Amino acid sequence: MKTVYVCSDTVTGIFSGIYDAWKSRKREEECEIALRGMLDQQLFCDYVEVEETEHKADAVEALIRKHLGMRAYHDIYHAVLSADPKKGDAVLGTMLTAREIPDSTKIMDHLSHPKVEKVFELYRNVFGETHSYKGFLRFRELKNGVLYAGIEPKNQILTCLAPHFADRLPTENWMIHDKTHKMFAVHEAGKQWVILWGDTFDEEVFEQVSDREEEYTRLWKGFCQTIAIESRRNPRCQLQHLPLRYRSEMVEFG
Amino acid sequence: MRIQEALSMYDKLNILTDAAKYDVACTSSGTSRKSDGTGIGSCEQSGICHSFSADGRCISLLKILFTNECIYDCKYCVNRRSNDVARASFTPDEVCTLTMEFYRRNYIEGLFLSSGILRSPDYTMELLYATLYRLRRECNFQGYIHVKAIPGASPELVQRLGFLADRMSVNLELATAESLRALAPHKTRKNILTSMRLVQNRMTENKQELTLYRNAPRFVPAGQSTQMIIGATPETDYQIIQVAESLYQKFELKRVFYSAFVHVNNDAALPAKTGEGPPLLREHRLYQADWLLRYYHFRAEELLTEENPNFNILFDPKCNWALKHLEEFPVEVNRADYKMLLRVPGIGYKSAVRIVKARRLGTLDFADLKKIGVVLKRALYFITCGGRMMYPTKLDEDYITRNLLATGEKLPREVREMGYRQLSLFEGGWNEDGICVQ
Repeated sequence: MKTVYVCSDTVTGIFSGIYDAWKSRKREEECEIALRGMLDQQLFCDYVEVEETEHKADAVEALIRKHLGMRAYHDIYHAVLSADPKKGDAVLGTMLTAREIPDSTKIMDHLSHPKVEKVFELYRNVFGETHSYKGFLRFRELKNGVLYAGIEPKNQILTCLAPHFADRLPTENWMIHDKTHKMFAVHEAGKQWVILWGDTFDEEVFEQVSDREEEYTRLWKGFCQTIAIESRRNPRCQLQHLPLRYRSEMVEFG
Repeated sequence: MRIQEALSMYDKLNILTDAAKYDVACTSSGTSRKSDGTGIGSCEQSGICHSFSADGRCISLLKILFTNECIYDCKYCVNRRSNDVARASFTPDEVCTLTMEFYRRNYIEGLFLSSGILRSPDYTMELLYATLYRLRRECNFQGYIHVKAIPGASPELVQRLGFLADRMSVNLELATAESLRALAPHKTRKNILTSMRLVQNRMTENKQELTLYRNAPRFVPAGQSTQMIIGATPETDYQIIQVAESLYQKFELKRVFYSAFVHVNNDAALPAKTGEGPPLLREHRLYQADWLLRYYHFRAEELLTEENPNFNILFDPKCNWALKHLEEFPVEVNRADYKMLLRVPGIGYKSAVRIVKARRLGTLDFADLKKIGVVLKRALYFITCGGRMMYPTKLDEDYITRNLLATGEKLPREVREMGYRQLSLFEGGWNEDGICVQ
């Protein structure tokens, strides 16, 4: 009978689920990873609640890094952050397949396998959204000098986004607010960035911007309007590159 | 005659953005640099687009002219000295403040600084240098900077500027020397190519310096680019891509940009206004061909010839090539070498790499190709998987042309609006996908 490992939608949760499934030495079709809250009930299977620990997650991470290599880990890590409910299962399937091929580090080239292909597709999706937000995210300067940016991504991309901005703006105090997943990445000048969870905060603070802010917003809006060449107008092309969902937080479209 | 008052920052930015918008390059790719932890800024190899303007072009850099008070009188240019337009100049400080404040807010990836010629090429270059020096050394800005080298400026200035910028470009403006003489009387082909050669030579020297001393300052690490105006003069596509090819080979340029000619001035030397707008489709085809030259191992004379010097408006250059060289097809996906895969319409360079990797671990069929990202509706006439085609098709130029047109995919706007009608409407035996159903 098939066993379904139910875990929470976090990296720790999914890696713990994979740990349990891996330990049970079951074959690919005998086990499945499912996410709590995104569960399709099936007949004829065992549902097991996964006990989630850092230890399990670390062990799985080490296992992937050691046997599948850094590149595969990079892809898998991104896939785990995706919004797809089948992601845990795809990762487990990929790991089980990797055991069967001669050189496990080449697993991500094995695109004709459905699970590997799924991981690859999820990775591309998360990586793509991260890349988009690296450009489309907009900071605003608050009264206290902190740079604040709100985003509404589909995937949990904060941990991919924060290192980029920590490198880029090391001497600034900034925070990025993931409104979809109620998470914050917070960076204090000259220090490491941290992730915070929570939905209890004073939203008004984020609306009080510094005095100079309005002027720079106006300059930027003006720039974006002027730079377009009227005789080449092409809103469809613009829409294709910059979908509407990104625009709500972008000042030039406000 | 205008009498100008002191301008606000907003007006200045407006005037100098408006003056810079016909410059094409807005890429921020080519360098990868981490911040050193003290200033602000970093660079990504792939470049980052920060917004898209209403014409669908990417906004990545703060693209401005330092000044539009130009002493030259180029006939295609909005800032020619005989035009009565509002004139303005930034100060180095203003450019620095704008760049830094926009960058902090993640509006931009860096600065693109071009300029009209104020007094003399050397004088203008000095101003650009002062701006970049301030930005790099005083504001400690480590983001991307693209700067124009002004033809005719002294080599020493070009060299100093190159150590502060990531990319430098000298505009070729027009593909042939005669056209340049006709439309830009103050510029000479010789001056432009000398500046280009100078940047190229300095980059080569810098590569040697860097192998000796890893921390030597870097000269134009993201390479050199240029741009040409398309459609203002009677050159053919063949001439243009030949020029582009030799620029890539002889001057080691990173990119050549093409800019569809936009009518901004009325001048007897310019083509008459037609009401059709800029030749966007031609520009698009040139970019496609440019891509084939750089990434797909094509040569200019394979794509076009003296007898047939312009691109087909219906098909992209690669598809066009394939239709004329059917003797090379069909290609067996599981065996063909990488370079041949690249020549198949519907297979891009990324899919080609994926195919080469994936087929080591098993044979590929059409479903796998689809997942890999191959555009099957175009590729299916040219490939086999395990010796079989996807559908029984004929390897015949007319047949494939008809079918490709019938799918109607991605026909350029100009062609769609030309009143073109699908051939399949007149013929029986074709279903919606344009595939023969008998």
